[in-house]
This record gives sequence, structure tokens and C-alpha cells, in this order.
Amino acid sequence: MSTAKDRYQNRIELLQGTLDLLILQTLVWGPRHGYGISQMIRANSAEILQVDTGSLYPALHRLEKQRWIASEWKVSDNNQRAKFYRLTASGRKQLASERSRWAQLSEAIAGILHPGKQETEA
Amino acid sequence: MAFWRPGRNPNDEIEAEILSHLNMAVQDRVERGEAPQQADRSSRREFGNVGLVKETTRDVWGLRWLEDLGHDLRFGWRTLRRSPGFAITAILTLALGIGPNTAIFTVINAVLLRPLPYAGPQRIAKVGLRNEDPVPSDVNVPQFVYLREHGGNVFEDVAGYSGAGTLQLKQRDGSDWLKALAVTDEFFPALGVNAILGREISSDETRPGSPLAVVLSDGIWRRAFGGDPGVIGKQITLNTDAYTVVGVLPPDFDFIEQPSDIFIPLHPGHSIGDTGTNTRVIARLKPGLSLKQARAQLSGLYEQLPNKNVAPLGLSVMSYQQALAGDLRPSLLILFGAVAVLLLIACANVASLILTRANGRARETAIRLAIGAGRGRLLRQSLAESFLIALMGAAGGLLAAAWALHGLAAAIPWDLSGRASSVRIDLRVLFFTLGTAIFTSLIFGLGSFWQTARTSVIVTLKEGRPGAQGPSHGRIRNVLAIAEVALSLSLLIGAALLGETLHNLYRENLGFDPQNVIRMTTPYPVNNPSNARIWSFEQQVLARVQGIPGVLSAAAVTVSPLAGQSNLPTQVAGNDDAQHSYGGTEIRAISSQYFGTLRTPVLEGRPILEGDTAGAPLVAVINQRLAHRWWPGKSPLGEHIVIGEFLGRQLFKEPQPPREVVGVVADVKGLVLGSPAPPMVYVPAAQAGLQMNDSTDWVIRTAPNAEVAPAIREVIAQMDPGQRITALEPLSNVIHNAVSGQTFDAALLGLFAAVALALASIGIYAVLSLHVAQRTHEIGIRMALGAEPRQVLRLVVRQGLVLALAGVVIGSAAALGLTRFLSGLLYGVQATSFEAYAGGAAVLIFVALLASYIPARRAVRVDPLVALRHE
Repeated sequence: MSTAKDRYQNRIELLQGTLDLLILQTLVWGPRHGYGISQMIRANSAEILQVDTGSLYPALHRLEKQRWIASEWKVSDNNQRAKFYRLTASGRKQLASERSRWAQLSEAIAGILHPGKQETEA
Repeated sequence: MAFWRPGRNPNDEIEAEILSHLNMAVQDRVERGEAPQQADRSSRREFGNVGLVKETTRDVWGLRWLEDLGHDLRFGWRTLRRSPGFAITAILTLALGIGPNTAIFTVINAVLLRPLPYAGPQRIAKVGLRNEDPVPSDVNVPQFVYLREHGGNVFEDVAGYSGAGTLQLKQRDGSDWLKALAVTDEFFPALGVNAILGREISSDETRPGSPLAVVLSDGIWRRAFGGDPGVIGKQITLNTDAYTVVGVLPPDFDFIEQPSDIFIPLHPGHSIGDTGTNTRVIARLKPGLSLKQARAQLSGLYEQLPNKNVAPLGLSVMSYQQALAGDLRPSLLILFGAVAVLLLIACANVASLILTRANGRARETAIRLAIGAGRGRLLRQSLAESFLIALMGAAGGLLAAAWALHGLAAAIPWDLSGRASSVRIDLRVLFFTLGTAIFTSLIFGLGSFWQTARTSVIVTLKEGRPGAQGPSHGRIRNVLAIAEVALSLSLLIGAALLGETLHNLYRENLGFDPQNVIRMTTPYPVNNPSNARIWSFEQQVLARVQGIPGVLSAAAVTVSPLAGQSNLPTQVAGNDDAQHSYGGTEIRAISSQYFGTLRTPVLEGRPILEGDTAGAPLVAVINQRLAHRWWPGKSPLGEHIVIGEFLGRQLFKEPQPPREVVGVVADVKGLVLGSPAPPMVYVPAAQAGLQMNDSTDWVIRTAPNAEVAPAIREVIAQMDPGQRITALEPLSNVIHNAVSGQTFDAALLGLFAAVALALASIGIYAVLSLHVAQRTHEIGIRMALGAEPRQVLRLVVRQGLVLALAGVVIGSAAALGLTRFLSGLLYGVQATSFEAYAGGAAVLIFVALLASYIPARRAVRVDPLVALRHE
């Protein structure tokens, strides 16, 4: 459990577009509801990534509109009715392309943050 | 995007999703040992603003605009309710603009747009001779037969038809009069209509001498035969002839051009009237052939066309729908243009109103801008308000149109025949009205746009008084007022031109005096009666009618003036050249009192006298036009003419004898008031010879205000109780009927111009009122400094005058361009008539002065003390 204070201290703003990637990746392990997705992202990032509900739900609905995910009302493990999202076939393709884009981006950023020897010496 | 699945409300669903999220969060916290209340609070805090999340999530689905629109409309509704005076004025103004548009469009829809109710209506064409009239005119029987034989590569079915009058159906329990149409066997295929019982007319039945067949309309089948299917094959008696019923037509079939109860075979080549041009022709174009191609192919046939007695200009093909619309088409298009102008004026008026109110609301707008309303949202709100006004205006207009439609359809003087009932508001009309509403709301919504775009938050809030942005709004309002004046002037000029046309037509020299003359029509009692029989009937009626107190004189004639045509080719006896034959010579068989009764002057020689009996020498009286044509500069008295002979060719089996010309009378108008009288020959009814008619017309001159109609009916009933009277009316009615088209156009255009004038004067009045209100302070200073009331009055009136003059200049220029379209409807007046322009301008300037006077009076009454404190 984290207090309001340290939540803001530890919080890292998600880059534009990365939330979609995280949601799609989270759903690879099976259907989940919105709350579950946000909990999973938080847990898997060691509590560093906090997903703002004001971003999560628009993102979920945007992805559903794109037909990358589909939704269904089901009863959860603890007997709650909840809307479960699952990855669609085109969502899997999208995930693959977003992952490779992310890989390129992080490589490029890493290149800038950790420049090669030549450049440092010059 | 299947978001709108049935039973799923997006708002509810998002809410449910958020609720389940919160529930799960709370449950997690409780499981970790938090107190339920505390867990609930923290979960909510962690979640953030539920409403905002809901809204942004919903926005993903693009429903925001819909919701906003709802908000805007509700907001617009509230603002309108807060200023009911403004709302009602704007809505009524728009209703005045939209109502006439809807009404005229409804007629256009019925007459010009809605396809004819026949199969493949666009392939049905009217075919005929080309003359001055755009609609193809009727042909004679040999010409029809020729077209049918040679039109094969243009048409599938070439059908001839011709009115067959009313036939008496004799039944056990009395008799019924049936409107009959004589048709060839191609008629029903050309229209694409099949009998619902039995069959249509066969080609055998159109041969002379074949047994007589009749096809019944659904209406008469039900009315006269009780809808009995066994009627097929039965014999019925029409007049004196036995007909076999061969078919019944479907209930939805209606021959629009001439609603008919029964259809009988047309027998080409069977009667003496074959050479008369009275066979109408419609044809079904071959698939894929355009009217233009048909016209081109048909022009090759003209050379060989037989019996060209009336010397037409060629052959003509027109879409049947357009031919049916006939004269109504140009009139409707002109009126449609006029109501469009009216709508623009109404729009300008409402735009001006909105600007005026916007001035008063400038502060409100500025405050809303200051606290963060987007200009786009503000604009949308005012557009929504405009749309609401337009929608209600359209609803009002629609109601008004629906209410006026019945009268309008009845007032249409052209023969709408079967289509009067189709003048009704249908889906297309509703769409048109809705479109008009959207269009108008966009037009005057521009006013709102201006206001929102121009509002400067700082200036408005700082100055803190309404009307701070006077100058720019004032300019737009001036432009709007000028536009209104200009547009109404063009309508006014159009109405003046049509009014002058009407006046000219009424002033035409008729060649007879219609005052105190009654006209009556009685059909012949039987088909093709002998001349002797008709004449003896006519003599007896005349003797009795002349005995009625109040009757001064009476006469019989085959066709009374302006009531119809009845012509036969005629030539000078023994002179076979083209100058001395005339195909369309109008022939009238008259009794001796005819000229005296109508007061038609006898210019030379003598009228027809009682002594011109069957045994006496054959005589004729001709009109001036024919006298000038055949014997220019000479007296025709003693010359001889032959009716039924053309270029030396006898048109009838029995050779027609020559007649001596014994008199010349003044020209009497033919069918059309605006055309010169046709060449005309009068013969004594006792010597009539050729039989071309199926009824007698009577003209009866009475003492002023004498009520003789009942006595006349009684005379006819005494002669023969079965004798019908199909017309009994003042002769002056015929003249009103002859100009009914022009009257209709002039009256409607005049009405529209009057409404336009009223709207324009309201526009000027509004501009000046606001102007005076805004300048109260200045006027107060002027008066405090010693300005005379007269000077103040002049100050305001002059501004109104400037607006009116600017409008008059622009409007005159516009009218010069627009009235060209009217020229086809004008008679005896140029589309550029100075009188019409000057008159229109004078009326407008006068009205503008009146409209300026009231605000000017208000300005004069300004009390300097009050005005200066007004700040």
C-alpha cells in the first residue's frame, strides 16, 4: 500500500503511446478487466508505473474501437461482475509491431544517453 | 464500430465498468485489512474524477458532439424562451418565407418532379406537329397513320387517341353519362398498362366496321357494374350503339391528361373529321433512345408527312411529363424563383434581428468568453439556436402551406386534370422544407458568427454598455436592409409587369361585347345527328328563349367566342394557289341574331339573315382578317369561297359547293386573347353542310341584372327532359378563364411582392429604430444645442431614404437581369418597361419613408435632459 505522497514521488509519466503497448502486452496472458490490468502493470513494474484511470479507460475503449481488443461482461474470481478485455488476432499483430517500434525507440534513446567512446573522447 | 448494440447504452456501460473497478479496488483494500469506509474513500481518491474519466472515455467513441448538440439545442431553447418577442418575430418571419416555398414546391413536385404513374414513364413521349407552342400539337388521322407506320425505329408503340365526349350508358334503372376516350390499340402498351380483367383494345377493333368494344376504368366498373367480374363479354348500350365490354383497368390507373370512365377504339380513317388535326399522339421510345435522338430521327420523316394543311414547322417530340405540365411549367419556375427571393428577404430580416439582439447580448458573450467558453462552442450554440428558430419557422411554414395548398391547387388555372389530388405534402416536400430550414439557419447563422468572431472581451467588458460595437454591426444591418429593398424591388417589378400584362389582355379588342350575355352549351342529343335535326331543335329553342322576359336577343353558334376551336381548310373558289388557301380557317355555323346579340360590328355587306335558309343560295360572312388576307384592298362581296377545299384538293368525299361572301364583320378573338383573331367564316346554321361538332353553343343577351338562367333551363327541359346543359354562365367568365393563367401568376407574384415589401419595411424600420436608440445621446446633445425637431426628423428619414435608394439602384439592376425570364409570360409590355421599374421604385421609396417615419418621430420626442442622463 502506498500513500498519496510517495505515489506521486515514484510515479513515472508514461510516454505517449506506451500505455497501448502495455495494455496489449498485459492481455497476452489472458483476458483481464480494467482494474486487473492496472494492478498487473503496477505489480510487474515494481510499483513504479502507475496507470491513471483517466488514461486507462479511454485507452481501453480506443483499442476496442480499433478492434485490437474485444470485451465481454463476466463474473470475476471474487464474484464481481466486470468487463473483461481480451486480445484479438489483429491486436496480436499490433502488439508485435508496437514491440518492435518500442525496441527501436529505446535503442535510439539508449544511444543518446550512453554515447560511444569516440564521441566522448572527441 | 458496433458500439450501438441493442440494449447497450454506452453511458450506462462505462458507468458500470467504473463501478466494478471501484468495487474491486475496495475489496482488495478490505482484504488487506482496511476498514470498509476508509477503503471506499481511498479507492475513490485513487481513482480520480469519476465524471471526467467517464466523459473522456465516452469521447473515444465520438459521441461528444451528439451530447453537445443536445446541450446546445436545450440551451438555445432556453435562450429563446427568455426572449419570446424575438423568437416569435423571427419564427413568424421565417414561416412567411418558408411557407410559400413549401407550397410552390409541393405543386412543382406534383407536376414536374413526381414521375408519371405509368411503367417506364421517362420513355413516354408526346409526338405531334411543331408550331409556336412548345408542346407538340395534334395531328390528323393520315398523319397519325404515317407516323405509326414509319416511326418504327424510334418508337415501340405509337398511340393515337382523341376525346370521345360523354356517352350515355342506358341501364334498367336510369342512365349514366360516361366520359369516353377513343384510343388505338397501341394506347395501353404505350402507357404500360394492362387490363386487370379481360384484355385491352385489340388492333382488329380499331378497323372500321369491326364490332364495338369498350374497356372500363376501375371506377366505372365498380360504380355502374358493381364490380362484377362477369361483365367481361357483356353487351352494353352507349348512346344508341351496342358495345362489348372486353376489359377492366387496374384501380390505380388514371389517364391524367383526360380522366376518362371508358376507353373505346379509335377508328382511324372512318369519319369525316379525319382531316381535322384532332388526333393526339403519345409513343413509347425504344429503350436506350434519348428524346434528342428521337427528334433527330423524326425530322427525316417530316418531308413525307401527308396532309400538311395547316403548314406546321415540323415534327416535335417532348417528354410526356413535360408536355402535360405545358404552360404550368414556366409559371411554376418563375414563382419558385419569386419565393426563393422572398425566403432570402426573410433570412436577411432574421439575420438583422439576431444582430440587434447580439448587440444587447454582447456583454453576456464577452463574459462567457472571459470565463473560458470556446469561441467554437459559442458559435455552435448560436447556430443551434438559429437552427431551432429555422426549424420552428419551417414547421410554421409547413402548416401554412398545408393549409393554403387546397386553395392553391384549386386556383391553378391550368388543367391539372387527374393530378389535383397529387398536389400534397409528401416525403420529398418534407425533405425540401427541412433542407430549406437548414439552409436558412446557415444563412442567418452567419450573423451569429460575425457577432462571436467580433466580440472583443476586453473592450466589451470595459465599456460595459450594450451597443459598444455599433459601427460594424450597423454596417451589416444596413447592407441587409439594402439587400431586402433590392430583392423586394425585383419582386415588385415582376408583379408590376405581370399586372400590366393582365391589364393589356383585358383591354384587347374582343370584337364583341360580353356584358349581359349568357353563354350556354347543349350537347347534341345523339351522335352525328343530321343538320336539319339540329337546326330544327335550335330554331325551337331560340323561339322559346326569346320569349323569356328579360331576354333581348339570342343566337345559336357552333362554338362561342374564346370557348374553343373548330376549323377546316378553306380556299377561294377556283383559286388554288397557296395565298388563297388557309388550313386553319375557323368555321362557325350561326343563327341570324348572332352578330346583333354579340354586338359584333358588320363592316361591309350584310349579316346572316333569316332568309338564308337551306333552300336559299349558299352564303358566308367572313371576318376582316380573312378579307384582308384574300382580297387586300378590295371588297370581297360577291366573291366565292369553298369550305373543305385546300390548294384545289377536295378533303371530303362529297364535293363542297362554293359560297358567296355577302358580308364582312369585325375580328372576334379566337381561343387566345393575346393572339390576333384567326381568319373566320360564318355560315347560316340552316346551310351548315359539314358536321364537325357535338354540341351547340348559345349566346343570350339579357337586360341588365335580369335573372333568366332558371327560365332558360326550364325551356330546355320542356323541349326534351333528357337534354343536358353542360355550361350556363356569363360570357364574361370566358374572358376571365382566358386570362386565368396570367391572373394566377400576377396574383401570386403580387402577393409575394407584398409580403416582401412588408418584410423589407420591417427591416428598414428595425435598422432605423436601433439607430435612433443608439444615437439618443447624440440627438439629445443636438437638441440641447438648438436643433429643430424638423432637422432631427430629417436626419433619421434621410438615412432611411439612403438605404431605400441604394436598394432601388441595386434592385433595378438585379431586376433587369431577372425579368428576362418573365418575358415569355408578358403581353404588350417589355420586360424592361420603364413604368414598371419606376412604379416599383416609387412604391418602395414610399414604404421606406413610412417605415422611417415612426423611428424619426421617436427621435424627435427625445427629451434632451433624459437623453443626456441616459449615459
